[in-house]
This record gives sequence, structure tokens and C-alpha cells, in this order.
Amino acid sequence: MEVTMDPLFLAWSYFRRRKFQQCADICTKLLQDGPYDQAAWSLKTRAFTEMVYIDETEVDQEGIAELMLDESSIAQVARPGTSLRLPGTSQGGGPTQAVRPMTQSGRPITGFVRPSTQSGRPGTMEQAIKTPRTASTARPVTGATGRFIRLGTASMLTNPDGPFINLSRLNLAKYSQKPHLSRTLFEYIFHHENDIKNALDLAAQATEHAQFKDWWWKVQLGKCYYRLGLYREAEKQFRSALNHQEVVDTYLYLAKVYQRLDQPITALNLFKQGLDHFPGEVTLLTGIARIHEEMNNITSATEYYKDVLKQDNTHVEAIACIGSNHFYTDQPEIALRFYRRLLQMGVYNCQLYNNLGLCCFYAQQYDMTLSSFERALALVASDEEQADVWYNIGHVAVGIGDLTLAYQCFKLALAFNNDHAEAYNNLAVLELRKGRVEQSKAFLQTAASLAPHMYEPHFNLSILSDKIGDLQSSYTAAQKSEDAFPEHVDTQQLLKLLREHFAAL
Amino acid sequence: MFSVYSWVLLFQIHISQHSGRLFPDPSGDGGKWLDAHYDPVAGLYTFSSCVDLADLSGDGESRLVAGDLGCGASAMKLKVYRGTALMSESALLDLPSGLVAFFMDLHQPRIPAVAVASGPCIYVYKNLRPYFKFTLPGLEVNALEQDVWQQVREGQIDQLTLKEMLEGIRRKADVPLSVRSLHFLSLETNEMDQFIQLHKQQPIRRQTVITVIGTLKKSTADEDGVSCLVIGTESCDVYVLDPEAFIILSKMSLPSVPTLMDVTGQFDVEFRITVACRNGNIYILRRESDKPKYCIELSSHPVGLVRVAKNVVVGCTDESLQGFTQKGKKLWRTLVPAPITTMASMDLPTRGFQAVLVGLANCEVHLYRDKNLLSSIKTPDAVTSVCFGRYGREDGALIMTTRGGGLMVKILKRTATFDERDSAPGPPPAQSVRLNVPKKTKLYVDQTLRERENGTAMHRAFQMDLSRMRLAAAKAYVKALESSMAPVSSSAAEPLKVNAVVQGLGPSFKLTLNIQNTAAARPVLNLAVSFLYDEKLYRVRTPYLRVPLLVPGLVYPLQTFVECTSDKGVSDIIKVFVLREGRSAPLLTAHINMPVSEGLPLA
Repeated sequence: MEVTMDPLFLAWSYFRRRKFQQCADICTKLLQDGPYDQAAWSLKTRAFTEMVYIDETEVDQEGIAELMLDESSIAQVARPGTSLRLPGTSQGGGPTQAVRPMTQSGRPITGFVRPSTQSGRPGTMEQAIKTPRTASTARPVTGATGRFIRLGTASMLTNPDGPFINLSRLNLAKYSQKPHLSRTLFEYIFHHENDIKNALDLAAQATEHAQFKDWWWKVQLGKCYYRLGLYREAEKQFRSALNHQEVVDTYLYLAKVYQRLDQPITALNLFKQGLDHFPGEVTLLTGIARIHEEMNNITSATEYYKDVLKQDNTHVEAIACIGSNHFYTDQPEIALRFYRRLLQMGVYNCQLYNNLGLCCFYAQQYDMTLSSFERALALVASDEEQADVWYNIGHVAVGIGDLTLAYQCFKLALAFNNDHAEAYNNLAVLELRKGRVEQSKAFLQTAASLAPHMYEPHFNLSILSDKIGDLQSSYTAAQKSEDAFPEHVDTQQLLKLLREHFAAL
Repeated sequence: MFSVYSWVLLFQIHISQHSGRLFPDPSGDGGKWLDAHYDPVAGLYTFSSCVDLADLSGDGESRLVAGDLGCGASAMKLKVYRGTALMSESALLDLPSGLVAFFMDLHQPRIPAVAVASGPCIYVYKNLRPYFKFTLPGLEVNALEQDVWQQVREGQIDQLTLKEMLEGIRRKADVPLSVRSLHFLSLETNEMDQFIQLHKQQPIRRQTVITVIGTLKKSTADEDGVSCLVIGTESCDVYVLDPEAFIILSKMSLPSVPTLMDVTGQFDVEFRITVACRNGNIYILRRESDKPKYCIELSSHPVGLVRVAKNVVVGCTDESLQGFTQKGKKLWRTLVPAPITTMASMDLPTRGFQAVLVGLANCEVHLYRDKNLLSSIKTPDAVTSVCFGRYGREDGALIMTTRGGGLMVKILKRTATFDERDSAPGPPPAQSVRLNVPKKTKLYVDQTLRERENGTAMHRAFQMDLSRMRLAAAKAYVKALESSMAPVSSSAAEPLKVNAVVQGLGPSFKLTLNIQNTAAARPVLNLAVSFLYDEKLYRVRTPYLRVPLLVPGLVYPLQTFVECTSDKGVSDIIKVFVLREGRSAPLLTAHINMPVSEGLPLA
């Protein structure tokens, strides 16, 4: 006779091997036999939670509502260096906008895509609800919808016959008395059901039951408050939790609260305080580096990323950021080293090959350049990536003087991504070389409307209008260019020249 | 001849009895100036030409007389300040264009009169009471115009004919139309009749307007000698008026309209009138001739004209200050840091010090002697008028009014000395800044070694890769062209460009297609727009749009609405095709990555 394994043990084993669906299936069967099997019930909730679990400390998506209707920031016009909201106040002496491209919010682009690095803060409501909200780079309306809704619907799809636990019929007060059940139940409600209000109820009752002495429940309360946008209450809970028990996670959550409140200096101090208790903690160091990066202080960000690498030499984000920094500070050969390191670590994607190709080209390792781009093209996963790769090949083509190839590449970039403002701008320059002024002007105007944060289209338009004698439009375009990049010397010279023109008789 | 008639007293003048005193406050710029008074809400809006200092009561204490141009609700006024207080104010009938204080007779005590130029008239005040009004002689009226109005008066022509005829005259005649006719031409048809009824009985007059006013000593160079008034008019004339009889002593004509004027000398002996004109030239008039003797052609418009000793200093709109001799020879040119708002001379005869005060738009007042900057004063607001002279009992008072209507008085310290700093050209400071060029790393050197050793192989590999890449690009390009994937078409027949913008939060989105014809001159006709999308996910309100005729260069926004019908939080691409009628292959394609619809979770 075959000896069957204890089903609960089997389920537990599946859970540990991260085969959550099988684990849940067994638990369902167990629960059908004995509906009051607490162990099976608890395991099933954990399995469901793990299926959709995303690290809360990492993910932070600011919705349009949070961005535009923000009331929690203290100073509307903060002093430079004290706010995440004032980009362009570079203190680190990093490369200027002419060398390192900017994101829409006016920060230099970073080497690693994180939720907050993509789009930054839009200036106006119009800008906020306009184009960049595509499926891949969507900015949701509020933090409460968007990604969380998609997670919620995903969990609904897995259970066609209704949810596993009917929250409305749950007696939260009863469960909060049982410490061994309440925690898994909370995580289930929080992560899987995404029902913050009920999660908050449960956490509040449970922390009361624990006589306000359990740091874990306090952290959970803080998480709930954070999700609900009650940042000051969240801060209180996290602070109180830290008094009970120093945990790295709590530091990260609290720093997130401060970043949301636009108090980067406080967040930095907090991280440093955390580092006193947990010396060399990678996540804390990364947090510091990110804040420095967001505040345009690239040099010290790089220092901290280097510290991260000393602790963890396989940290992808740190390697990528240091690499991109070296690339933009005119040391592509060192950047190449870093990207090769990533390749050795097993990162194998389109972006990496694209970067390798660019580094090779600028470090004059020509034999590797185009083969890297070929591989990048073979690995593309989306149209946007393809557009970016073609755009970079176009750059290489411009570099070797093959303008036909460059023209084709920029056109291809546009074909794959209709909103590629950089490609429009470069295409306009090529058109102008061919003498097609009208085309060129139209492209520049499009580029300027697609990416008002870029100074290049404005500046090119200004020069173009100046050449064809339309001084008025040249002047307005030059002013826009100056707004986007105040230190740009060529723009200033052009403006000076135009002012002299206007003053002269 | 022109009529001289007495001017009726129309308004009250009230004189306040408050006696102000200046309280020096030692916090000047570089210790040279004492802050005597600053009232940011004095409500005095004026320019340097409408400000003068004069001992109006003969008690040895100088007053500030200013023609206030008013601002919004507040009307034009003639204001007199004594010390820190407003001593008197009286309403002016029209905007003042210039104001001077001058001695018009030899009576004792020596009390100067104030002449305010506004419109075609000069109003002369004595003891702050209206004394006399002088009106410029009328100009020649167009005979045809007079005929036409005569016919109107007799009821021979109606308003539309009048309008036509006046327009004809305006286009052809040498003598310009009168103000009344010009006003009539600017009216709407329904207002014309009333206007005609109101004005047809009055005779037509053509008046000129005074643009500048100055004074010229009549026969003696004494401080309190009798002065003639010198006025420049919109009709390009300069008149010299007798101070007692108010008859025109001399008339000179200029090629352009005078805007700034400086007068020196005596009328009976020899004088020199320097006039900056609206055409950007400066003309110098002398006693003998009624035509300009010298002409200075400037590179840009003048905004300030000041005479220092025998030289003329001109501030121009190109942010420069230029010095000329009295014969029009250029001496120097220097740049100022901001646009010039106003200029005035600073003359301290007791110290033999002469310089030029220049008000700048960056809220500074600079003091120049020749081309050298002597000192600069920071002001809280941009200065619109500057005046230096004796105020109260203080010889070296600097009076400034600001754009916001503030009044500021500063006193030159007795101990102040102005050192001539020669701005000798040295190397620019940027020359000594080191460029931040990163060091070449050892890695770089190694790589160059590799390049040197394997140059041929690397070149071959690169060339081969390049050919492959060209092929791949060309293939992809042809594919894109064949399927018209690009949002830009550069074909000779229809050079078009389309870009799409999605707005909205969902489930309803607004789709705006910006279509532009990038051809140089040819319009594009017969185009249409259609959409390709997943019908399970989206519903487009107007799936077929006709494109109007596309004029080259303009952006045509076409709008439609898209409804997301799915509640699963998914999104898709909508393809937009620009089609030519009668052809199945699209000219252009735009791909729109639709945002995720977020309007549903509330349900």
C-alpha cells in the first residue's frame, strides 16, 4: 500500500518551493473536508498572498491626484536643496543638460528605471493628463487605483467562483484576538484583496489586543495609513514601531513617508540613523543614493552607490547607475566595464546590449559596437524599446557620417514610437541639411510640443527661424530654450544677438 | 495769428501747511548717499521730463514740482513736494508731456513760474496758480477735407459717402486729415450719425502736440535770468517762445519728431539746441539757421539725452551709453548691464563735479563720468525719473520716482568722493577658470593600445557589421514604408505629418490628431482618417473623419472620442490611418498606446 504524505505537510512543502497554486489547491481540499482547519486556512491565505506579493518598500507610484493636488508638502517654494520638487538646482557639479539628457521633470536621466524615475512631476494638469500615460508608462490617477486595481482584478480572475474569504462577513474582532491567524489574514486582506479599510480595522483591533506593544502591528497600521494618504498618522505609527524594535523595513517605510511629504533631508537623516543601527545595510544605502540622485546631486549619489557595491557587488541598480554616470561624464570605457559586469551577472536584455553598444562606440571599440546593437534589436520586447535602439543606431550613424542610414534609423524610431521627440528633433536637423526648411520646421515644432522639457528643439527652431529671417519666432523659441536650460551658452548668445537686432535701427 | 485768451480758473488748489523736514538716515550706497526719504506708496507716476526743482516761494527752500501722469483711477495732477510732504496738488486737464520751471519776468522777489506742456497747450502757473495758457498755432487744414465737411453741414452727402471720400483723401493727400476725420473713420456705422450731428457745426482745426519742452536763457547767463521756453512738436518743429508776450521768437524745423531735447546758451547771443528724434538721429540746431546744423546717426533709438559740459551723452535702447562732442563727433561708447529707463545730469558746481545718472531696468541707478562707472545705487523698484539738484536747503539731493509710484530722496554726503575707476580691459575672468576635463584613465590607454595593435581587424569587423546594419535598417525601412508605418510621409505628392495626443482618465478619452502639411506651398486635398482597434475594447465615436483642405504649415487638430468598454484594466493600441480617397493603402499610420482606463473602479 502506498504511503500517502500528510496533505498539510505536502502543501507546506509546495509553499516553500513557491508552488503556490498547488499549495492552495491542496488547502482548498483540506478545507472542504474540515472547514475549521486553522492550519490549512492560514496556509491558504499565505499562498494567495505570496502569489500577488510585491515588496511594499520598493513600489511607490504617485498618481496624478497626489501630484497635482498635493497639500502635504510644507513649503510651496522650498529653498534649493531641501525639496525633491525643485529640479535643476544641481549642487553636485555633475554634467549639464547638454551632455546628460533630462527627464520631463528636469532631472538627469538615471541608469535604472524605478517607479519614480520615469516621469517625475508634471508642471501643469494639462501636461499631467496628456500623452505619456500609455500602457507601459502609465501614470495612474491616484495611488489607490492604477496598479493596485490591476492586482485586485488579477486575484478576482483566479477565483471564478468568488473570493476565498468573504470580507464583509468576517468577524474581524474575533480574528484579531488570535495572533497566529490574524497576521496571515491581515496580509491576505492587504495584499490580495487590497481592501485597505478592512485591513486597517483588523490592524487597529489587533494592536489594541496586543496592548499597543507589538511593533509588527504598528508597522502594518502605518502601511495602511500610508496607502490611505494619511502620512502624518503613518509617520507616528512607524516612529512608535521603531521605539519598540529597530527593523530595516520600518526605516524604509518611514523614509518613504518623508519622501512623500517632500522632506528629503529628514529622510536622509533617517537613513543615516538607520545605518548607525545596521551598518552597511544595502537597502538603506540605496535609499540615500536615490534621494541624492533625485535631488540632482549625482556625485554624492555615485559615492553612495559605490558604498552599496562594497557591501553587495551584484547590486544591479548600483552598477547601472554608476555605469551611466561614467558614460555621461565622458568615461565610456569605465561605463563599459560596469555594463560588462552586468552581463556577466546574467542580466540579458535589450537595454543592456544597447548601452554596451553605445559605450563601445564612444570608447572607440568599433568592432563590438554594431554587433551589440544587433543583439539588442534581436532582444526587443516592445515597440518603445525598438524605437530607442534604432534611435541610438541613428546616433552611431551620425557619428560615422552616414546620414542616409541615420535618416532611416530616425524614421524607424518614429515608426515604432510616434512620440519619440528626440528622433523628431534629429530628423529635423537632417531635413534641414537637405534644405527642406518646411519639413524641418514642422518636425521641430512637433518635437517641442511632445517634449517641452527638452531644450534642443526650441534651440534648433530658434536658429532655423533666425536663419530664414523670422526673428520674432526665433526670439520666442530661444526664450523657451532658455526656460528649459538656463545655462545653455549658445541660447544666451543667440538671445543676445536677437536683442541687439531688435534694438538696432 | 493765434489767439491769446485768458484761462479760466477751473479747479481748486489746496496748500497744506505741514512743513516737512528731511531726516537723513545714514545707510547709503558705499557711504556716498544718505537716505533722506522713501515713500513706496507716494502714488507719483512720472518721467524725468516732468520733474523739476525750483524755489517756488522765494524763501530759499527748493520744492519738487512734478507732473503726475496718474495711474488707472487716479487722474493727472501737478504735485508740489516740500521736504517729505506733499505741499499742494492741482488737477491737470491732459497728460503732461513736459514740465519746466523758469523765470518769466524781472519782478522781485525772484519766483519762477512753472510751465506744463500737455497736448497742444502750455499751461503757465505762477505762485502755483494758473496764470496763462498758450496754445500752439493750428496747422494747415486739407482743403478737400474742409469741402467735404462743408457739404455734410449742408446735408448734401450722407455718412457712408463721407466715409468713402475721407478715406480717399487720407490715401492721396499730402496734408494729413484732422483728428476729427480720423476719429470719424474709426467709428462703427451706427455711431457715425451721432458723431456727425455733434461735430458738423464746428470748424475743422488741425492741431499738433507738444512732445518736449525746455528753457533757454534770454539774454543773460545768470542763474535767475529770464528764460524763453523752447518746445518741440509732433509736426517736427521747434519753437522758441518769448517769456513775457508769449509770441514765437523763432521757428526751426526738423526732419523728424523730437523726443528728447537739451538747450544751452542764450537766445540773444548764441544758443545750441540738441534734439534727439524719433527716427534715431540727433540734430543740433544753432542760432543762425532754421535747419539742423549737425546730425548724429545712432545705431538704435535714444532713450536719454544729457549734456555734460560741452559733450552730449546719449543712452540707447541697445543698452549702451554713447558720448559725442557738440559737433556730433563720437567720443566713446560703453555698455550698461540692463535697459536704460531714464537719464539725468548730476551737476555740483560747488565741487566742479559733473556726471550722468542712468536709471536702469534692473533696479539700479548708475553714475557715469564719461565712460567710467563711478558708483551705483540699488533701488527697491525700477526708477522712471531721476532728478538731481537743490531740494529744500540741501544742494546735492537726488530725487527718484519708481515704476510703482514711489518717491525716493537721497542726499549726497559732504564727504563723498567719487574715484575714477578706469575700466581698463583685462583678460576676462572666464579665462582663468579651468575646464573640468576628466582624466584619461588607464583603461582608456589600454584600449588605445588594443586599437593600435588590432586596427585592421577592428576596422574590418566594423565595416562588415556596418554593411549588415545598413541592410537591416534598409529592410526595416522598406517594410515600414510599405506598410506606411511612419507618422511622417515625405513623398512628393503628400508630405504630411501626424501626431496623436490622448487626453482623459477613462473610460472616455479624447483623441486629438494633429495633421500638418509640410509642403512648401501646395495644399493637400481629399484626405480621410480612419481607425483600427479592437472592437471588444474600444468604441470610437466617429470611426471615419474627413480631413479638410490642408494649407501648408498649419496644424489641423482633428478630434474624436474613444470609449473604453472593458472593465479589466487592460489597454491596447489604436492605429490611425490617414488615407487618400480612392486608394486603399494608407499614406500614414500613427500608433496610439492607449492609457489604462481608470474611470471604472468607482462603480
